Amino acid sequence: MPFTFKKQIFGFMDLIRFTKMVPKRREKLAEGSAEKIPATYRVNETAKILHPGYQSAKLVKITQNTADTKTYEFETDKPFYFRAGQYMTLGTNVNGSEASRPYAVSSAPGAALGKRVAFTVKKCGFFSGYLFDNAKEGDIFTVGDPSGEFCYEPLKDAKHVVAVAGGSGITPFYSMAQAIADGTMDFKLTIFYGAKTEEDLIFKKELDALGSDKIRLVYVLSDEKKAGYESGFIGADLISKYVSGDFTVMMCGPQAMYAFLDKELKKFDLPPRRIKKEANTVGVRDVKEEHYKIKVKIGFESYTVDADSRETVLVALERAGLKVPAKCRAGGCGFCHAKLVSGSFSIPGADKRRLADSKFGYFHPCCSYPDSDMEIIANKA
Amino acid sequence: MTKYDAVVIGAGNGGLVAAIRLLQGGLKTLIVEKHNLPGGFATSFRRGRFEFEASLHELNDFGAANNAGDVRVLFDELGVTDKIEWIQIPEAYRVIARSENLDATMPFGVQAFIDKMEAYVPGSRESVTKFFELAEEIRLAQAYSSSVNGQTDSKYMVANYGNFVRCGSYSVNQVLKTLKMPQKAVDIISAYWCYLGANLDDMSFVHYASMVNRYILRGAAMPKMRSHEISLAMVERIRELGGDVLFNTEAVKILTDAEGGVSGVVLDDGTEIATRHVVCNCAPHVVYGKMMDKVPEAEVRATNARKFAGRGFTMFLGLDRSADELGIENHNYFLYDTMDSVKQYDRMRTIADNDVQATVCLNRALPDCSPEGTCMMYFTTLYMSDDWANVKAEDYFKTKDYVADKMIARFERDTGAKIRDHIEEISVATPMTYARYCGHPQGVIYGYESQYWDGLMPRLQMMAEDHRIRGLRFAGGYSMRLSGYSSAYFSGDISGRQTVGDFKREG
Repeated sequence: MPFTFKKQIFGFMDLIRFTKMVPKRREKLAEGSAEKIPATYRVNETAKILHPGYQSAKLVKITQNTADTKTYEFETDKPFYFRAGQYMTLGTNVNGSEASRPYAVSSAPGAALGKRVAFTVKKCGFFSGYLFDNAKEGDIFTVGDPSGEFCYEPLKDAKHVVAVAGGSGITPFYSMAQAIADGTMDFKLTIFYGAKTEEDLIFKKELDALGSDKIRLVYVLSDEKKAGYESGFIGADLISKYVSGDFTVMMCGPQAMYAFLDKELKKFDLPPRRIKKEANTVGVRDVKEEHYKIKVKIGFESYTVDADSRETVLVALERAGLKVPAKCRAGGCGFCHAKLVSGSFSIPGADKRRLADSKFGYFHPCCSYPDSDMEIIANKA
Repeated sequence: MTKYDAVVIGAGNGGLVAAIRLLQGGLKTLIVEKHNLPGGFATSFRRGRFEFEASLHELNDFGAANNAGDVRVLFDELGVTDKIEWIQIPEAYRVIARSENLDATMPFGVQAFIDKMEAYVPGSRESVTKFFELAEEIRLAQAYSSSVNGQTDSKYMVANYGNFVRCGSYSVNQVLKTLKMPQKAVDIISAYWCYLGANLDDMSFVHYASMVNRYILRGAAMPKMRSHEISLAMVERIRELGGDVLFNTEAVKILTDAEGGVSGVVLDDGTEIATRHVVCNCAPHVVYGKMMDKVPEAEVRATNARKFAGRGFTMFLGLDRSADELGIENHNYFLYDTMDSVKQYDRMRTIADNDVQATVCLNRALPDCSPEGTCMMYFTTLYMSDDWANVKAEDYFKTKDYVADKMIARFERDTGAKIRDHIEEISVATPMTYARYCGHPQGVIYGYESQYWDGLMPRLQMMAEDHRIRGLRFAGGYSMRLSGYSSAYFSGDISGRQTVGDFKREG
C-alpha cells in the first residue's frame, strides 16, 4: 500500500518548501563575494614544489670525482623537493638530437629547497660523453620532475637498510646518507660500496665524514687488496659479516651486479618486499640491423622519421630532433605513453604497461624496439 | 588558425563523455588534457607486480545487461559498453563503528537489504521499505525531469511524484526521522554518506536516497582492467568518431568576443584554437581564476559562494599474502568513529583528528586482479578543511606516512585483519597529488559540496540560469550532477548534448 510522505502537520507546507529551494539558491549565489577568484591555492603551490615539472637549470659547478666521474651541480629555476633516492632527467639538445637521461640525484633533498641539485655522472655513452666533453659552467639545461620509487618507505621497509652500490650506483645512497645525517630521514643505513680500486670510489671522503651510529660504510674493492677495505664482490657472506636481523636490501649498480646478487640473496630467503632494485635504462638491442620508417603524429603535426631495429622508438624520435616526453627510459614510468596505430614492436624485458594499455594498443617508446614500419601518435613533451 | 566547433578542456570522466556526445551530434571536436593520460581520477598505475586502481571503488548504477542502470544505458548510447570487460561487485558494504558497537555487512538487492536490516534491527522493516519506496519515486521523478531537460511541469510532478516533491526539500536526517526509522537502522543506511562528502544534516535526501537506491537496486560494477580501461575505451570511441585528442596539453586561456561569449582557446604552447563552444571538465574556480580575463560579476559571486567539498587522500597497498590469509573478508568497508555524520564530518577537518576510511580490497570483487598469493587494497578519506595547506614541502613525506600509519592501524584494529607486515608496495596520494594531476583547487576531489542550499535538486532546476556565458558549459564533479563517477558521466552527457543544441541554435 503506497504511503504519503508528510513531514509538516499540513502536507502542503512540504510542497511550498520545495518551491523555495530555487529562490534560496539564487539568493545564496548572489550573496557571494565579488572579490577576484584566486588564480592559485596553497595546496597547489606546495604541489608545485613537490612536482615542479620541467624547469631550466643553470650548471654552476663541475667537480671531477674520479677519472671517469664528474658531479654537475645546478641552480634550478624554482625551489623543489624530492625523496632521497629519486632520479630526475637532465636534458639538452645535443647536435640536433633532443636528448635527456635520468640520473639519481646525488645531493640532499634539503638543498633542492634552495634551488640546488647535483647529479654524479659516469662517462659511458652518448649523453654523458657530451657532458664530459662539452658542458661548462653557465650552460642551461632542462631538468624534469623528481621521480622513481627507489626510496626508503618507513611503513614498509625494515628499520635497517642494506644498500649495495656498484660504481656510480652510489649516488642515490649518498643522497640518502645526507638526508639521514641532516635529520630529514630516520633509518639505519649500511652501505656496501663496490668499486674496482680505491681510486674509483666516488664520495669516499664525504661518505666517511657522514659515518655514524646510523650510517656505516663498507668499501669493497674487486681489483685491489688493501688494508681497511674488503675485497672481491658483494655477496651473502660479506653482508652477513656486518649485518644481522631484519633488513631491506636496496641495490643500485650495473646489470652484472644484480645478476650476482640475485643468486647471493637467495641464501637469506628474503621475501620480494625486502628487495628493491633501481632499474637500469634500456640500451642497444642486439639484433640484425634493419631500417624502418616511423610516421608519428604529435599535436597537429605529422612527421616521418628513420628508425633502426637496434634502437628504441624513443631514440628514433629524439634523433630526428622531435621533443617528446622521456623519463625513466626503462619502460616503467609510463611518461612516454604513446599510441600505436599500425606496425609492430617488441619489448625485450618485462612489459610494465597497464593492462588496458596493451588492450588498446598503447606502448612505452622508451623500451620498445621497432620490428616494422610504424605509425604512432605521441604526446608533445 | 585551427578551428573547431567545440573544444573540451579536460579529459576526465565528464569531459570524455561530453566529447563523445559532441561528436555524435556532428560537431568537429577537440579534447585537450594536461596530463599524459585520460580519465582524470579514472586511471591506474603500476608498482612492481601490482596495477592499482587510482580511485574507483565501484561503479554505481551500471547494473547487468538484463537489469541495466542509467550508466549502462548511457554507455550503450555512447558505444563504449562492449569495449570494456565488466565485473559485478559481490556485496554492498560493511560498515564498522567500533565505539558504537556497530558492525554490519549489507547486500545488494532491495529486498535482501531490507531483510538483512530487519535481522540487524528488528522493527526496521516498515521504515526501510518506505525509504526505498521514496527512493524509487525519486528515481522515476528524476527520469521524468531529465526527459524534459529540467523543464518540469509542477502540476504533473505533484500529481505523479507527490512524495518526491514533499520530501524533496529536506535533509537525509530530517526525512529518516519522519520515517521513524530506528536509530541503528539510520546508522547502517547512512554508511554511504562519505561517498557524497556532506553530513546528513546538510545533504539533501533526494541526492542520498537516489544514490543508495541505485547501488542497492542495480548492484555495482567494476571494469576488469581498472578505470583506466573505461577512460581508454572512451578515447578510442572519440577517435573512431573523428575527434582529435591532445594529451600533455593544457588549455591556458579561454578567449571571449565583444559580447563576452566564447571565441577561442589558447593552449600552453601558444596555439590559438578558434571555437565558439567550450565544455570545461574542471572547476569554475580554475576557469574564472586564471583562464578568462573578463568574468561577469554574477558569475564571480556565484563561484565565490560555493563551498569546496572534501580534499582527497588515498593509500594503496600491495600485500604479499592473499586476502584469505590476511583475514580481509570484504570488498568494501566504511570505518567510522561515530555514525553521527555531523560529528564525524567535524572530526574530518584536521590531519590529526581524521580517522575515517572507505576501504576496498579489490580481490574480493576481482580475485585475479593481482598475482596469486597477493592482494591489493586502497584506503580513502576526505579532509573537510584545508589542513593540508599547512603542510610544508619539507614535512610532506612524514605527514603522508603519519596518516598512512593511522589508516593501517585502524583497519587492523576494526577488522582484525593483519596487513602491516605484508606490505610489498605502498603508494599514497594526498591533496597535493590530486592538485598536481587534476589541477583541482586545494586537492578537492568532490567538487562543490552538497550543502543544504546547493544540493542536487536546485542545481538541476537552475541549469538554464547557471549558464551565464555563451558557449561555456561545465562537466565533471563541479557541475550540476555533483561528484562521483556516475554523476560526472551524466554531467558530460548533459553538457555535451546541451552544447550540441547551442551549436545548432547559435552556430
